Amino acid sequence: MGQSYNDKKEEGIVHYFRKNMGRRVFILTKAFPFMFIGKIKSIVEDMVVLDVETTSIPSLEGKEWTVHIHSIEVFYIETGLGAKIPHLKDS
Amino acid sequence: MLRKYHVVAIPIRIVLNTFGDHNPNGMMYVLKENEEKVKQSVKENPFMPVPLVQPLIIRANEGDAVEILLENKLPFHAGLHFQQAEYDVRTADGANVGLNEESTVPPGESYQYRINVVKEGIYFFSDLGNPASSENGSNGNGLFGALFVERRFSWWTDPETGKPMNSGVFADIHHPILPSFREYAWVFHDEMEVDDLTGNRPIHHLTNQEESSFHGANYRFEPINRRQQLIAEGVVCPNCEGEEVHHDSWVYGDPSTPILRGYVGDPAKVRVVHGGVKETHVFHYHVHQWLSDPDDLESEIIDAQSISPQTHYTVEPLYGLGSLQGSFGDSIIHCHLYPHFAAGMWGLNRVFNTLQDGSQCYPNGVPIKPLHPLPDREAPPKPTFEKPGFPNFIPGKVGYKAPRPPLGIVGGRGLTELERHAAIENPRPGAVFTDPSPESAPVREFNISLIELPITYNKQGWHDPKGRIYVLDEDLEDICAGRKEPEPLVIHTPAHTSFRINYTNRLPHILDGDAFQLVTRAYETGFHIHFVKFDVLVNDGANVGWNYDSSVLPGETIQYCYYAEVELKAWFFHDHLYPNAHQQHGVFGSGVVHPRFTEFLDSRTGEPVVHGTQITSKNPLIPDYRDFALFVQDFTLLFDKNGKPLQPPKFPSSDDDPGLFGVNYKNEPLQFRLGKDCDPAYTFSSYQNGDPVTPILRAYEGDSIRIRLLQGSQEESHSFNVHGLRWHKERGSLNSSLKEQQHIGISESFTMETYIERAGDYLWAFETEEDLWNGLWGLIRAYDEKVPDLISLTDRPEPLKRSKPLPEYTGDKPPQAEDPTVHPVEGPVRYFDVVAFQTKLMYNDFGDHDPHGIMVALKEDQEAIVNGTKKPEPLIIRANVGDTVEVTLTSELEMEKFPFPDGIYPYPVVKEQAYYPPSLRISLHPQLIQYDVKTSAGETVGFNGDQTVGPGEKRTYRWVVDTQVGACGLWDMADIRNHKSQGAFGAFIAEPRGTEYVDPYTLQPVSSGANVVLRNPFLPDIREFVVILHDGVRLYDKQGQVIFDPVDGILIPPPEIDEDLLDTYDQGSRGINYRSERLINRYRKHPKLHELFNSNVFGDPATPVFECYAGDPVTIRLVTPAERRRAHSFHLHGHRWRFDTKDIESRTEAFVGFHVAGAVKNLELLGGAGAYGKFPGDYLYRSGNIRWDIEQGMWGIMRVHDKPIAELPPLEQ
Repeated sequence: MGQSYNDKKEEGIVHYFRKNMGRRVFILTKAFPFMFIGKIKSIVEDMVVLDVETTSIPSLEGKEWTVHIHSIEVFYIETGLGAKIPHLKDS
Repeated sequence: MLRKYHVVAIPIRIVLNTFGDHNPNGMMYVLKENEEKVKQSVKENPFMPVPLVQPLIIRANEGDAVEILLENKLPFHAGLHFQQAEYDVRTADGANVGLNEESTVPPGESYQYRINVVKEGIYFFSDLGNPASSENGSNGNGLFGALFVERRFSWWTDPETGKPMNSGVFADIHHPILPSFREYAWVFHDEMEVDDLTGNRPIHHLTNQEESSFHGANYRFEPINRRQQLIAEGVVCPNCEGEEVHHDSWVYGDPSTPILRGYVGDPAKVRVVHGGVKETHVFHYHVHQWLSDPDDLESEIIDAQSISPQTHYTVEPLYGLGSLQGSFGDSIIHCHLYPHFAAGMWGLNRVFNTLQDGSQCYPNGVPIKPLHPLPDREAPPKPTFEKPGFPNFIPGKVGYKAPRPPLGIVGGRGLTELERHAAIENPRPGAVFTDPSPESAPVREFNISLIELPITYNKQGWHDPKGRIYVLDEDLEDICAGRKEPEPLVIHTPAHTSFRINYTNRLPHILDGDAFQLVTRAYETGFHIHFVKFDVLVNDGANVGWNYDSSVLPGETIQYCYYAEVELKAWFFHDHLYPNAHQQHGVFGSGVVHPRFTEFLDSRTGEPVVHGTQITSKNPLIPDYRDFALFVQDFTLLFDKNGKPLQPPKFPSSDDDPGLFGVNYKNEPLQFRLGKDCDPAYTFSSYQNGDPVTPILRAYEGDSIRIRLLQGSQEESHSFNVHGLRWHKERGSLNSSLKEQQHIGISESFTMETYIERAGDYLWAFETEEDLWNGLWGLIRAYDEKVPDLISLTDRPEPLKRSKPLPEYTGDKPPQAEDPTVHPVEGPVRYFDVVAFQTKLMYNDFGDHDPHGIMVALKEDQEAIVNGTKKPEPLIIRANVGDTVEVTLTSELEMEKFPFPDGIYPYPVVKEQAYYPPSLRISLHPQLIQYDVKTSAGETVGFNGDQTVGPGEKRTYRWVVDTQVGACGLWDMADIRNHKSQGAFGAFIAEPRGTEYVDPYTLQPVSSGANVVLRNPFLPDIREFVVILHDGVRLYDKQGQVIFDPVDGILIPPPEIDEDLLDTYDQGSRGINYRSERLINRYRKHPKLHELFNSNVFGDPATPVFECYAGDPVTIRLVTPAERRRAHSFHLHGHRWRFDTKDIESRTEAFVGFHVAGAVKNLELLGGAGAYGKFPGDYLYRSGNIRWDIEQGMWGIMRVHDKPIAELPPLEQ
């Protein structure tokens, strides 16, 4: 049996995240806390380790978070080619 | 498991407070085991409240069968009718309905009910053997209670003794897996008979007039009148006025009303039940918030919630007692309707921070009863000499007003030694004993003052000479100088903000007297906040229980401190010291918590702002939006330009509905917008009358908007409607239903989040007749092209440069609206040819009728209706998702068929009656479906063209059914005073795609009707019953005499009707689909109260009898197009449904609350007809308002057959 499309897709995402380690990323998840902005610190199997700058909940910020690739609904990595992810600050 | 209870219905003297106010003719349900005890206690304590005299609360677990043996010791037939439960309606309904067997109990006899309890929750029970609303009735005298159903395998103990218990309003509930929690029953009720110690109606000590009616909880009330008398008589607090210490335990000791006790962090459920008969109340609970639907995490977070008669809900405070910040002390619980609050409808939630084992006393020497810690939580520390715990570290003096808080008042005192032991590590102003703010939260500081100034409400010079409003200090000079228009203060911050408020009381010491009010020494005020997190002891902006008095004197400044941890929408603020005296003068405002990182801009200039009722919000992550705030007001005390008071009460300081109405300190009464042709059809037209002075919410086509809806004052329900824009019921859930209407009571807060697809003028209105008449409406104006004084949203395309001038006021009739049908349409189109005409409407077989009825009917039905071969019913039409609907309307209205062509409609009245002659024009406005407001809103609003039709004219509206919204109201908007109460309304139902509609008896296709079978290839056949509730009807009896309901319909009325009980908005008869089965007609024929719903005695009622077979899928569409402000509740016996049909997580209930103009609801009966048990029989559908709906005919029958009958073909499945 060959590799399924889903397996290929996940492998592609893992590869893409690994390629962009050290860059800033914007992630939306279906589950709490729904949004992350931070730096990709490392990839462990199919988990992304993030240095989280901003989430929807202030008390979860400034920490290291591990996000499972499966739970990512939408993401954007700041590669230098497209728009920059804003640096959000409480004022 | 089978549980058995032996319940006795007994007459009992109910002493309502320690002042000896009592109901000598009280009635209650009690467990047999307590019957003698309670009778003996009452005999021994004729003037003191007896703890066992409380509403009966019994408990069971999910899945149990419960047998209740009811023994009736009352002098009339009494019963037990359970909501929520499944039971055999023929034998266990606790009523005598239709063709069912009798299941009320004769005096001196017993009867056994058996019910099944399916799901956790509140199973309210009450009597239906005696449905009279007067003092001779049962419900108003206390004959109600509740069965609380807990999760499976639960058990319960007494919070004081820790021992198992069989009944009681407070219990600790335990479970092998789930956390233990405190359970508190909070049973609102109203209109109970009250006598004072002398056996007479209580007299108000200042006005020397009779006190207002009873409003209380759990058979208790603690009125301001009684407590204030102790000041007047020099017993306590000689320097106090009254209202500022109404809730102060330092002055009076604890109230007789419920005190809900717990420890910090305890999980809790407050089971809020409305056992009363008349009013819709607002439950408000300081410090705490909860989900509007406890099991639905996507439901709204709220801290104030309306409740209609015979409805209920469970409040589960988030984070447990004391909320996130762990605040301990007294949090007041009250009905937020101020006259009810003053009448005594309040109690306390007392959160201790030290263990109470019975060895401690309150500061006044009253022992503190023991309170068992919940077994799965760590017990709080024992009190010590250094740390005695709340309230014993507070340096108050018994008999005098509570002390001011330490640190808060600028120039005030520091902490005592005991306070320092109780304080947090770094106490600061506003956060002394609990710290609500995380260190990382940015601090925003606001300098706010409360001032008095005259406010003009409209162009005609109606004004409040003693307006009182909150202002930012930096605006103080501009507002006082008239350079800035007064508006309610709305401050804006993003979530995750710490607030520091420097609040200065700049009011004079005295609120002067006038026709509305007596002189009041309103010398101290505060800034009480909802929603945000704070230390209740020092920062409540109130004076409650054994807490501090966190208000300030004139000229003083106090610092408050709070935290907004998530996007909490709009939090309400107001004064908690003298709200009865002056909140109706404008003492309210709001803080809006926006998503984090939001910036706030002036919508005209683009400059940053921190406050305003209309601003633009810019956010880097989510779409920008316009943010609008609307505050509805009643009891607005206005004078006309000549100084004449408008709608003054009979005597000053009476709470009998004084004054008028406002929205954001403005109103735009319809009486001033008749125009030179005196045609009401153009009342809302800006061409003819210019724009209203009320808010015009401005945006561009395509903009996202959020409307923050709040009620600032004072007692009444209002119904907010937006014509042509809809929003999700739950903002966080795309699965929730779409709405265009929202009921609101004072202090509630709603956010309507939507966007404006098309340019045009959209009407917003508080749409009950009297509100609208007196000017509670305005516009949402969406521009198609650029205007100079409105910035565009940064993430929307820049609006096109203006190519044509904006329309302007002409003083003339508006131009005709464009014909929407000139544009081509794709997909199926349904055509309806309808005609508006006048005809006599017979409301029942006793001859009650409306000779001046106005109907809108299909043209093809008109002749049959007029010649009597077809029974009139409101127009009910349907279309499917994907359909375009074209409705062509013709007017055949004739002036001579109106009852009052001279232009004054004498009954039912509205406040500020004025000349408003009937319009011969008519229109048809639909809810919830899509249309272009410029052509097909069915109304002539703002600078939209004319969409009404005159005699002999025709107009076609084009509507699009884009989604399955179900029930929608339809009504006339050409003349809200002379058309709607006569019947100019109907319903539109949006059905699933591919549905066909057939007559249930002939199975022939139909294009209108209240009772149809829906056939859809992908769905089972469904019976659809449409119930249109309406009120404000002007009926005549068979002798041609006007029926003055509700008075004429009261069963066993007292010798003299207290006219003060009758508000303007109670006037008129009630109807269901142009029918009304008024009980008084039946009673005159056969005077047996318990048989009034019986069809063997009277035949079936004139109201619809909806027939079906057990197990048939049934959907009830509930529509309330007209028209009065009194909210109705609705209950169908023996069935439940999801509150929100679209939301699988929605709670399931057997009632609907708040049915008031514009409300709609779709009820998909769980289990179908007869519920899951498929019990055949006659099920009563009815209002839950014993006073004054059921008597006045707002009831009918759903008949569930068990065997096929020839006339009714079974459904094909």
